[in-house]
Amino acid sequence: MTAERHIRASLALVAAFLATGLWLEAMYGLRAEGWIDDAIRREFLRLGHSHGALLGLLNLGLAWALERLQTPAAWARRIRPAALTGALSVGLGFIAGGLWHGPTDPGPPILLVPLGALLLLTSTVALALVRPGDLAPPGSEQG
Amino acid sequence: MAAGRADLAFVWLFGPAIVFALVALVAVAWTIADDDAWGPVERRGAAVVQSATCARCHPDEHASWRRTYHRTMTQEARGDALLAPFAGERLDYLGFEATMDRDDEGRPRIRIVERSGGGEAAPIVDARVVMTVGSHRYQQYLAAIDRGGGAGEIWRLPVAWHVGEGRWIHLNGAFLEPEGTIGAADDYLRHLSRWNDNCVLCHNTEPRPGARADGRFETALGEIGIACEACHGPAEAHIERHRSPLRRVLAAAIEGRAHAADPSIAAPSGLTGARASEVCGRCHGNRIARDLGAVLRDGDGFLPGEELAAVSRPIFADSTLGDPPEAPFGERFWPDGTPRLSAYEYQGLLLSPCHQGGAEGGLGCGDCHSMHRADPAMQVREDRRGAAACRGCHDEAAIPAGHGGHGESVTCLECHMPRITYGLVQGMITHRIASPDPGALVGRDDQPDACTLCHVDRSRAWAAAAMAGLGLRGSAPGPEREAEAWGSRTMLDLLGGDPIQRVLAADALARPRATMEPRSRIAWLVGALEDEYPAVRLAATRAIRENARQSGDRALQEAIAAFDFLGPVDARLVVVDRLRELVGPGPLDAHPERLEALAAAQERQLIWIGE
Repeated sequence: MTAERHIRASLALVAAFLATGLWLEAMYGLRAEGWIDDAIRREFLRLGHSHGALLGLLNLGLAWALERLQTPAAWARRIRPAALTGALSVGLGFIAGGLWHGPTDPGPPILLVPLGALLLLTSTVALALVRPGDLAPPGSEQG
Repeated sequence: MAAGRADLAFVWLFGPAIVFALVALVAVAWTIADDDAWGPVERRGAAVVQSATCARCHPDEHASWRRTYHRTMTQEARGDALLAPFAGERLDYLGFEATMDRDDEGRPRIRIVERSGGGEAAPIVDARVVMTVGSHRYQQYLAAIDRGGGAGEIWRLPVAWHVGEGRWIHLNGAFLEPEGTIGAADDYLRHLSRWNDNCVLCHNTEPRPGARADGRFETALGEIGIACEACHGPAEAHIERHRSPLRRVLAAAIEGRAHAADPSIAAPSGLTGARASEVCGRCHGNRIARDLGAVLRDGDGFLPGEELAAVSRPIFADSTLGDPPEAPFGERFWPDGTPRLSAYEYQGLLLSPCHQGGAEGGLGCGDCHSMHRADPAMQVREDRRGAAACRGCHDEAAIPAGHGGHGESVTCLECHMPRITYGLVQGMITHRIASPDPGALVGRDDQPDACTLCHVDRSRAWAAAAMAGLGLRGSAPGPEREAEAWGSRTMLDLLGGDPIQRVLAADALARPRATMEPRSRIAWLVGALEDEYPAVRLAATRAIRENARQSGDRALQEAIAAFDFLGPVDARLVVVDRLRELVGPGPLDAHPERLEALAAAQERQLIWIGE
């Protein structure tokens, strides 16, 4: 994945999860049944909206940092999809878990959240630790 | 070389997530296949975990329950739980003086002495209040008193705080009994009753009276007051099962509506209407235990979700006790078997055609009431207020609003669930749903009807004719009794009915919708202020106060404000005379022979209904 694609995908992620915020506001304004009266759904849809949008912004930061830190291409090519997948998993996991929930807890899609969180965590740690010359031949292409 | 480095990056970046996914898949599959996570579980004998534990997973349900009067049914006597001031108030009644104050440490106490003792007599009660019972209509007080049953005995004291009236009352005034003899301690202490084997059972969660063979008590409560596990059953097994987060997360997928199907807990909303109603009927339907000894030792043995009939049978008019069998409950029911006391709501439901004999789809308590997100006063569901109570089954096309010819302002309940029940010193709606049929009761004095509780100035013959005129079905009226020709049903009940009829007639005359203008209603009610039963006097006091308010007459309002329904006879008569001056003669003052006949009818109908 190229840097440009990463940035565009991150912006798309931010836009998509901001749009869910509009949806939630509309449901609140319309006092939609199944939203206003369902505390678990309300909580997890809010979590999905906020996490998705914020982790989209985090991806923008990661994309910038990958360039700024001259992370080796072999790492950068994998960090970008891992971080994007992580952000998407966290956001969607919260939303789907809230839409399809049990009496006290979110539904099975919530298991996507720790999975996505692990991807984001490893991506961020890798970005922090890997130096330009690490694990890549001298003079190789930068991410 | 580069490929190996790339693989290292892949493993670093994706490895933890892949491992998590694999572990999660295995754990999910294991949980789905684990019978312990989904199958039946033994609930009987499980420990009570108490409401604070439930709140951790069910905060909304816990919050809505906390707003109910069920939660505050029994409380420790401290802080906001105490509704009475306990600031040195006094209640003089039946020759005794009760003083309600606090000790040096601010703890509430009640001291009762005989007044003729001149302050020298030893108190008949001198007790520190340890618990309260009730918080909606009136609050009763409990004290630890050893009356031969050991240190574990708790007794309900004979005075209570009436919330609506904002005053102390004596419990002789809360039950339908003659007042008693002045200075007679036995009469005064008639309602000094032991909590351990009475109130404890329906006013707490999973109580265990702990009666011992030697007459002592080791009473234990699962939780004080009526908390979550009173309706859902002890939740220890439920908590254990749901410690697994995967079990909780998978509930939506495995059980669909897991709350309804989870066998580790009883959820009344997931039971059939009949079975869910048994959860309410446990306390809102007086019953006879199959094994009283076991109840007094270990509790009532009922497990919500299981059959109530396994441990008890509801009391009906013809229920019998003892050998040879006796039927002592008749006066708690109207002649047609309809309960006329509160705490028999379950029986009312069972007798209603809407219940359909408990068949699937028949009406249950939960069709109108809920413990969660409902009005705390009556626990009526928000979506079942007014006519909506019936619209769940009877739609507008089948039964149009106002089909009774009264317009839409008269709701279904007023005709089909009239206020013919006595409870907590007031009239209440019946829970036996039926259609009014005043024609069937013409010529009878023993049961009120829906029509004449609003049309207070009319007879049943009039009501029957009016129903026919409106095209409504009803029985053809039989011959009237002589009194029915000159007196309205409500007047005859107020002046010549039994104590319950007199309370209900006064209650009917208090309602703004009742026909007749307020001053005329007061003229009828004044005589009831002299009633032998304090409960009737209180009902009449309330009715006169309400009518005086409606009339806007300040003199009337001041006169009735001076009436103490438990006060000395002389003082009461002063107010009665003043009211007569203000509203003129009573309805039968011109016909003393009629008044005497009705008074004689009253005397023939003494009843004695305690707890």
